[in-house]
Amino acid sequence: MNYEETKSVVQEKFLSSERVTAFLCDAKVLHPEWVKKDRLLCIVEYGDEKAVFCLFTSSYPPKSFTDLSIEIVLPIDNTFKCEIDNKPSDPEAVLYLNLQSRNNKFKFEIQMTPRVDNFVDDLFRGIEAVSKVPTQPEFVWLKKYHGKDEDDIITQFSVIPRSGVAHAQNSAPVAIRESLIKRKMYDKELEYTFTKKFTVFCGTWNVNDKSPVIPLEGWLSVDREPPDIYAVGFQELDLSKETFLFDQTFREDEWYNAVINYVDRRAKYVKLEKVRLVGMLLIVLIKQKYISHVRNVVCDTVGTGIMGKMGNKGGVSIRFDLHNTSMCFVNSHLAAHVEEYERRNQDFRDICNRTRFLQPNQQAKAIKDHDQIYWIGDLNYRITDLDPNTVKQLIKDNNFEKILEWDQLKQQHKNNNVFAGYTEGPITFKPTYKYDPGTDNWDSSEKNRAPAWCDRIFWKGEAISQLAYRSHPALNISDHKPVSATFSSSIKVIDEEKYRKVYEDVIKQLDKLENELIPQVKVDLTEIDFGTVKYLELQVRTITIKNIGKLPVEFEFIKKLDETSFCKEWLIVEPYKKCICADESCEIQLKVLINKTSACKINAGTDKLYDILVLHLYGGKDIFITVTGTYQRSCFGCSIEVLVNLNKPIKDVPVGKLIELENKRDQCVSNQSTYSIPKEIWFLVDHIYLHGLKEPNLFEQPGLHSEVLQIRDWLDSGSVDPIPGSIHSVAEALLLLLESTADPIIPYNLQSICLKASANYLQCKQIVMELPEFRKNVFLYLCEFLQEALQHSAENGLDAKTLSTLFGEIFLRDNPNQIQEPQSRINKQVIDKKKAQFVHHFLVNDHSDLIFTR
Amino acid sequence: MAKKTYDLLFKLLLIGDSGVGKTCILFRFSDNHFTTTFISTIGIDFKIKTVELRGKKIKLQIWDTAGQERFHTITTSYYRGAMGIMLVYDITNEKTFDDIVKWLRNIDEHANEDVEKMILGNKCDMEEKRVVSKDRGEAIAREHGIRFMETSAKANINIDRAFSELAEAILDKTAGRDADADHARIAVERRPSRAPPARACCS
Ligand SMILES: Nc1nc2c(ncn2[C@@H]2O[C@H](COP(=O)(O)OP(=O)(O)OP(=O)(O)O)[C@@H](O)[C@H]2O)c(=O)[nH]1
Ligand SMILES: [Mg+2]
Repeated sequence: MNYEETKSVVQEKFLSSERVTAFLCDAKVLHPEWVKKDRLLCIVEYGDEKAVFCLFTSSYPPKSFTDLSIEIVLPIDNTFKCEIDNKPSDPEAVLYLNLQSRNNKFKFEIQMTPRVDNFVDDLFRGIEAVSKVPTQPEFVWLKKYHGKDEDDIITQFSVIPRSGVAHAQNSAPVAIRESLIKRKMYDKELEYTFTKKFTVFCGTWNVNDKSPVIPLEGWLSVDREPPDIYAVGFQELDLSKETFLFDQTFREDEWYNAVINYVDRRAKYVKLEKVRLVGMLLIVLIKQKYISHVRNVVCDTVGTGIMGKMGNKGGVSIRFDLHNTSMCFVNSHLAAHVEEYERRNQDFRDICNRTRFLQPNQQAKAIKDHDQIYWIGDLNYRITDLDPNTVKQLIKDNNFEKILEWDQLKQQHKNNNVFAGYTEGPITFKPTYKYDPGTDNWDSSEKNRAPAWCDRIFWKGEAISQLAYRSHPALNISDHKPVSATFSSSIKVIDEEKYRKVYEDVIKQLDKLENELIPQVKVDLTEIDFGTVKYLELQVRTITIKNIGKLPVEFEFIKKLDETSFCKEWLIVEPYKKCICADESCEIQLKVLINKTSACKINAGTDKLYDILVLHLYGGKDIFITVTGTYQRSCFGCSIEVLVNLNKPIKDVPVGKLIELENKRDQCVSNQSTYSIPKEIWFLVDHIYLHGLKEPNLFEQPGLHSEVLQIRDWLDSGSVDPIPGSIHSVAEALLLLLESTADPIIPYNLQSICLKASANYLQCKQIVMELPEFRKNVFLYLCEFLQEALQHSAENGLDAKTLSTLFGEIFLRDNPNQIQEPQSRINKQVIDKKKAQFVHHFLVNDHSDLIFTR
Repeated sequence: MAKKTYDLLFKLLLIGDSGVGKTCILFRFSDNHFTTTFISTIGIDFKIKTVELRGKKIKLQIWDTAGQERFHTITTSYYRGAMGIMLVYDITNEKTFDDIVKWLRNIDEHANEDVEKMILGNKCDMEEKRVVSKDRGEAIAREHGIRFMETSAKANINIDRAFSELAEAILDKTAGRDADADHARIAVERRPSRAPPARACCS
């Protein structure tokens, strides 16, 4: 199957309107919880929007689109990031692609092939395109790939911020909820709004550097009823160099006051906002009684003049919300000169692209993001290809239609080169440019320009109807005549009562959604009873966690307050942390193993086979898992002082009695005790003495674990049968028993003295003399036995050196509780040597003088 | 038009002996749903619900705890960070009422000092099986200066009211302390530490 065939299979996975523009066959997701298996990566384009998809394929390469399932969807929006790591020196020639979108991060490993270039190019083209569009694309088409209902696009957001619900420092979920509510409320707008007609007056005038020396009511106060909103724009307010360079002018106030003076007197108006850039001024007024329904007033200015930036040309805009309708007014002065209509089109586009209304905590809005847009100004389009005198004649004949055929703006608008989607009303007034100031006569300068409709008014949005569009020739101080239009516009007004109800419903729905998104799992067992647990015998139980929620769940066993580990030391939990996908399960193994450390604690009653584990779901609940078992007491892990006091097998000793003995072991004295050494040690040693002294590789060949466990049971139950197992297993059991005693045979506090004295037999003897009684007994008894064993070295292959090393380690056991400084290996060797040296004395010298002296 | 989703987030906690109806109360409040089958809670769970109080939208995050005796030590570690605690007993079960004193002690030891408390005598629909009179409930609440209410998750009596009253009490406190209550202020913290375990479990 070649590349193109595979690509067409991938394409089938998508709708025909969703085009696969690039794809890669051999990508791998690098994610601890994902199988590092081959994936397909593709870029899909829908309209202007692009997204990266990662697909899993059940057969490789995919034979049909049914082999493919979509695993990851990353919309290329302005949160999208792409980083590429590669090591050119890498012989594998792989490349790492880090993709991030809306808080989701993934790393992919990609095989370097010529196709990669294509893919990466396409990716960056997508990123670049997004950075250019003014608003965030919506990616409505992606919703179906996220899950079954529209809320799921939010679902995927929630994967990460979920924990925020509990932790809450993170404001992301709040923001998501916010935007979700907005969207839902917007969708239901019809349910809680009704419309009300407002009249909007728009006026524009290029005043050609003049002051308001004449009354303006002939322009501003001509409607039958006073309008509800005024939007009045001026151009060329001030042509002085100072204004251009320093953007300062007294004319602003002059004209503003003039407007205030001459608006319809029958109503009371207040300023909503005014904004000026060099000579362009836009003033918006509203009837006082409505100002309380106006919100989010923001303005912006864009210069498109000299060098495409200066404010001699450009646009100024004001946006606001009136009730539930967003309105935007733009006053612009576009590039001059007859032949420059392309420049004017470009200026229009620049104003559209560069105008940004910034609001706190909200995405910046563009002009197009409004329900209603009114665009006024000196747009400067002219009449071309008609001789000025013909134009003037046609005007005289009132034949405007003929001239308008040659109007650049009508032509450009018709071809959608400018004001696409906007409407302009029919023009029934004479061209407003260019006159000899103070007259109604056409420009008499030698340039002999053709008259033109430079001053125009456009609108965009539903439910707007134009009531009038006219010029006001009587106002003649400028070379332009003012123009005005009156509109009747439907404004959406909120019914508070209904709004509340809808809002509450939305909140309820969201609460429900949020509750449903809380991770949910089912654990098949929350009480695990291991039954009888024996020393050194591993037991395993399995529990299954099933993710029954809608989202992947991450769980972890967490520590309880004041504890250093999430479970007791005799328990092992695997895995203790993992992510489970929706509808999938995870098996967790719980293993119990009682070693000498935990056996000692349990014998002494400081620990028991009982623990409660806290299974935490990130962003969700905690589940308590109780682990219990009954420890079968064993001589392993008991103190020597306790063992010498037990005149019956440990199995028959009540647990309480054992704990009591362990806790009183320091007070144990010989005249009360039953034995001088533990009977268990005697049994094992005696068995080897009788049957094993000549056994080759004695103490060197390991025993069988199963036999050691049988010997353990034999000792603990006081069986009358012969000891089970081979000599080697018995020898191993002996070593394990000696190693497991609660305290070492030479107490920890004497060990450093022993090591210091190790070269000196007399001193060593002295120390042994001072050992606690039963330890001394055990020590000497074992040395005696080992000397005996050495007698048979010819058969058993033992030598004093090997034995002293082996038993040095046992008699002088390291203290596990002592925080050990990191020892160098040499140091450790030296210590081990000294331990051996200490024991060695007692294997080669006659020390019968020490035995049984008290 | 940009209204906030919620102005405040309150963390509430339900505690009390096993079987008194904590989980049912929470279900009634969040889902308006009730079931008679008893599935004892083995852990800690929560649900959210947004309510409106005095023009403020308040998001309640309500934590339901396991009431079984063996979990008491663990559950106390979840008290801290709770802004309100509901102590629930069962009016048909004397022992659950006697234990209220014990639960109060637990709160004193483990919860934030200024936590708002409320005692609920649940299952008040079962008048014929009542063993704890309303007077006794009121008396113990008065003694400790705590709000009290009899509720029924089954018959949906006083459930909404109990939560709004508790939330309102917290709001009173919050409003007094914080002039800038306009911002979502969230004080929730979970006790069991989430630091990596000291002993990683690999065999
Ligand atoms: N009649 C009646 N029964 C109720 C009421 N509330 C709860 N129950 C019943 O009481 C039993 C226990 O309710 P739960 O809510 O599960 O108890 P709990 O307090 O959460 O118990 P734990 O989770 O073990 O701490 C269930 O069988 C419920 O049906 C009530 O208001 N009236
Ligand atoms: Mg419960």
